[in-house]
Amino acid sequence: MPAGDLEHSPFWYVTLPSEETAKSIGQRALLTKMMVEVWGEGSTWEELEAALQAYPAEAMAPWVGPEHTFKVVVDAFGSKLTMDDQLDLIEKLEFLPFKGKVRLRNPELTFVLLVVDCEWNDSLVDVALPRRYYFGRQVAAADRGVLESYSLKRRLYLGPTSMDAEIAFIMCNQAKVKRGQLMLDPYAGTGSILVAAAHYGAKVMGTDIDIKVLREGKPGPGGPGSATERVCIGSNFTQYGLPQPVGLIRLDTHKHPLRPDLQEVLHAVIGDPPYGVRAGGKKSGAKPEIADRRNPITDPSTHIPATQPYTLGECLRDLLDLSARLLVVGGRLVYFLPATPETYCEEEVPGHPALRLVANSEQILTMRYSRRLVTMEKVHPYDAAAAAAYHAARPDPTMAIDRLHDIVYEQLDEAAKKEAAEAAPRRRCRGKQF
Amino acid sequence: MKLLTHNMLSCHIKNVRNGYPFLIEVVKVSEHEADFDPDFLKHIFPRINWPAFLQGAQSLGCREGLPEEAAESMLEDEGFLKRFHHALLEVFLEEGSLVCPETGRKFPVTKGIPNMLLNEDEC
Repeated sequence: MPAGDLEHSPFWYVTLPSEETAKSIGQRALLTKMMVEVWGEGSTWEELEAALQAYPAEAMAPWVGPEHTFKVVVDAFGSKLTMDDQLDLIEKLEFLPFKGKVRLRNPELTFVLLVVDCEWNDSLVDVALPRRYYFGRQVAAADRGVLESYSLKRRLYLGPTSMDAEIAFIMCNQAKVKRGQLMLDPYAGTGSILVAAAHYGAKVMGTDIDIKVLREGKPGPGGPGSATERVCIGSNFTQYGLPQPVGLIRLDTHKHPLRPDLQEVLHAVIGDPPYGVRAGGKKSGAKPEIADRRNPITDPSTHIPATQPYTLGECLRDLLDLSARLLVVGGRLVYFLPATPETYCEEEVPGHPALRLVANSEQILTMRYSRRLVTMEKVHPYDAAAAAAYHAARPDPTMAIDRLHDIVYEQLDEAAKKEAAEAAPRRRCRGKQF
Repeated sequence: MKLLTHNMLSCHIKNVRNGYPFLIEVVKVSEHEADFDPDFLKHIFPRINWPAFLQGAQSLGCREGLPEEAAESMLEDEGFLKRFHHALLEVFLEEGSLVCPETGRKFPVTKGIPNMLLNEDEC
């Protein structure tokens, strides 16, 4: 339940079966900054103080004794507090019966005073929260340090569309990746999502239609003869001490070579499908207009196969169908769907009879362009006839977003720009930090 | 390419009926220690086509100690799990080819990566 019944509130009350549950969520979640057992709240300091005075002594007792070291941190949302402001507030909490020793580095317990004050902050249009104070015991905190260690800034092998470490980890959380599982990224590229899934202990497999990115890699930071003279997907796994992928295959998801009776073998399919802004989709076969001009094939194993454009609609149909077939029941597909305000409509989000939509979350990238993280779960065993019927009822898989390149690079004249700006109120998103 | 991958692939050239399993032409095989995960092995075992696995293991020289027939009960035996793990995930075809049993078309495996893209007259 969101605080103040505001759906955009960054503070939510949750009821969990145990503190252990809260801790395990805290360990894994990246977007949940912390979990706090609230001891009191109020819209004024007096209200907060009264609420804390009223908090049962027996509920406080296990945490305030002399045997615990502790610290109090002040977190401000919507405004900034100087160090002096923070110290003043902490001093005002002196009425609380803490008997333990204060320790700022690695205390046993951390208490949080949260100050919500958005009154003077007009950039937080979505979250004009009422003024409020919260105080409580921190039960769990997100381990965002993992993101720092996997930062792309120090990643050995990168490409123009490498997935940001935080997003790759979030994708793996959406897919519930864990040890004992097999995960596939059908658009593996430089392997960013594979790295995140391997961090969580899954065996990972990557495929891509681009042989160069998969096999050749590129010159690395080391000089000739050194271990990093050339870097490739494998270098990224070595860098983090992760087990290597169990398979890398160059294939085309549209005409894939997986044996026809292969089913229910994967727990997660996670990928960023190719679309037109930075890397357009490709599939096997020559474009009709150049088919006649291709060199004759003398040796099929060394001939360089032609590829032709692959619309996002077709690509997603193939992705969903492949996932529906290869996932175990309960397994998840997580992928990004590009969207623009002009083209996105919920009905166009691709479906499949074996898959259920679990989440569809927008990430705003620019005013005219966003992407949606789509999470689907396999809820029925794969039924080829049902899938065929579903697709037959939707003969053209092309989506409005297949015009994406045109939309992003479209030249608007001044009048049209003004009109567009007026029609669509400027959307802002909340920063990661508060 | 490990035998896990070999087990999943079949020849997808248009009109090929008996494209499974691929024959393996070996140029270079290497071994790398892999993370031993019994839960993963128990998950994957019933999904492995056993005759194809044995045939692949024969080609890569790791057939020894693998039983002719597969039965779920073998998963209780730690020794079997270790041998299965080794042949499935630790033996690696670095250079060679996957050869379609019907047409003889070779799909090259270079730096351990099979190139399964079809030429335009094959799709």
